Amino acid sequence: MEGLNDFIKILKEHWRFRQQLLKLAKADLIKTYRGAALGWAWAIIKPVVQIFVYWFGFQIGLRTSKVVNGYPFFLWLIAGQVPWFYMNDMLTAGTESIRKYSYLVTKMKFPVSTIPTFVSISKMTINLLLMVIVMILYVCFGFSPTIYWLQLIFYILISFGFWTTWGLLGALLAAISKDFANLVKSFVSFLFWFSGILWNPDTVKVIWLRKLLRLNPITYLVTGFRDCLINKVWFWEKPSRLLYFLIAWGAMLIMALWAYRKVRKDIPDVL
Amino acid sequence: MDNDVVIKFDKVTKTYKLYKDDKKRFLGLFFKNIKYKEKKAVNNVSFDIHKGECVALFGKNGAGKSTILKLITGVTYPTEGKIEVNGRVSALLELTSGFDQEFTGRENIFLKGQILGIKDEEIKELERPIIEFAELGEYIDQPVRTYSSGMKARLGFSINANIKPEILIIDEALSVGDEAFRRKCVSKINEITSKKDVTLLFVTHATNTARDFCQRGIVMKKGKAIFDGDINSAIENYNTIIDKKASKKLNLSIDMNNIS
Repeated sequence: MEGLNDFIKILKEHWRFRQQLLKLAKADLIKTYRGAALGWAWAIIKPVVQIFVYWFGFQIGLRTSKVVNGYPFFLWLIAGQVPWFYMNDMLTAGTESIRKYSYLVTKMKFPVSTIPTFVSISKMTINLLLMVIVMILYVCFGFSPTIYWLQLIFYILISFGFWTTWGLLGALLAAISKDFANLVKSFVSFLFWFSGILWNPDTVKVIWLRKLLRLNPITYLVTGFRDCLINKVWFWEKPSRLLYFLIAWGAMLIMALWAYRKVRKDIPDVL
Repeated sequence: MDNDVVIKFDKVTKTYKLYKDDKKRFLGLFFKNIKYKEKKAVNNVSFDIHKGECVALFGKNGAGKSTILKLITGVTYPTEGKIEVNGRVSALLELTSGFDQEFTGRENIFLKGQILGIKDEEIKELERPIIEFAELGEYIDQPVRTYSSGMKARLGFSINANIKPEILIIDEALSVGDEAFRRKCVSKINEITSKKDVTLLFVTHATNTARDFCQRGIVMKKGKAIFDGDINSAIENYNTIIDKKASKKLNLSIDMNNIS
């Protein structure tokens, strides 16, 4: 019951500060890329380099990659890797958001629950830009848009919701303990390699492992993006996987509300 | 609540939990048996401050003055009791902080205004007087991280003093820039507090300055409000605390002399 009250309170805070949130998101975005000589180009260069590294490693080096459903490996790769960039940002910058914006908490009265949200909006904006580039690349490779592309909106929305919820939980805990932020950071590459971003989780031979992977919300999201761009599957065709994802999201929300109730009032004193 | 009560403290207690380190604090979230010490920074304090009043807050270091100010600004939460604050609070404390380092001075003016819930048009109107008062010149369009601490303090003061506060909180350390600027600040404060409906809360050790501004004084000692009344009696009361401390020191030094 208390959790529900907190949830309503958080939503109200978001509504009341909606304009400030958008401005702070914009400010976060500007700050990330301003100052460097190449500035905004970094928003593109960094992901391009990473994609190139993995593409080179798999296609040229290991020679394991082949055509997936008629699409070149490169297109299959970016369909999953680009959404991951946002998740990666939320695991790192999202987790540290309250710490980074501590002056909003310790020097003025600002609702702490909204800090991860505007950081999430900022990171998602960059990701949307990259998604547009992905779509352009598909067209350049001769794959014109299909009706399934519309479903991207659905996956972008649930990814945003899930990771913003994570942002609240992670950032609250990281504000209390720096160790927690470090712990999460050291898990990022683990999550990256185990969630089927670079390999197809549906081709895993061990049955129990394949089933286990279906419970992984990251795998669900990444597969979802590929369902839109490559596999041509609607989300309602896999209701049980969607259910697992929603359960994981709900559990995340309950934990975030628990953390909020527990530490919200301590944060200004600790930071 | 009375219509003209702008700040109401009702049996407010603020307890800080002191853990040995970060790790213990984190574990404390999950386990009840993690040890910590409690420090009562503010202990069962009640008072009402009315609209237009000027109140001085006295107390030695660590008496809980800063915590009271933080509680009023809403930055920190009371452990027990209730606090009600009506009106736009502007706090002239820690002037050099509370800026986004990567933003220019001008952008910080807007950011701060937005967070305080001031409408864009109003901020635009205030922008010019704020910049002029802060005397930052060309620097107003440079990132705040390039500012000296004096410049930051000037900008901080200028923003807080120019946003038309209804409740103004001034911390003692009004050492903003050079003497000329300091005088400018004092006259600005005079200008603000001369308006009838502005409430002033003044934290200081300088009892004479307090006498000039305030009619009422609250004396804090070890987290408790030990006196609340007219300014002259408050200063008297505060002086006896300091005297006790001073005489103790004196005795100690005499003892030391005897030993040697």
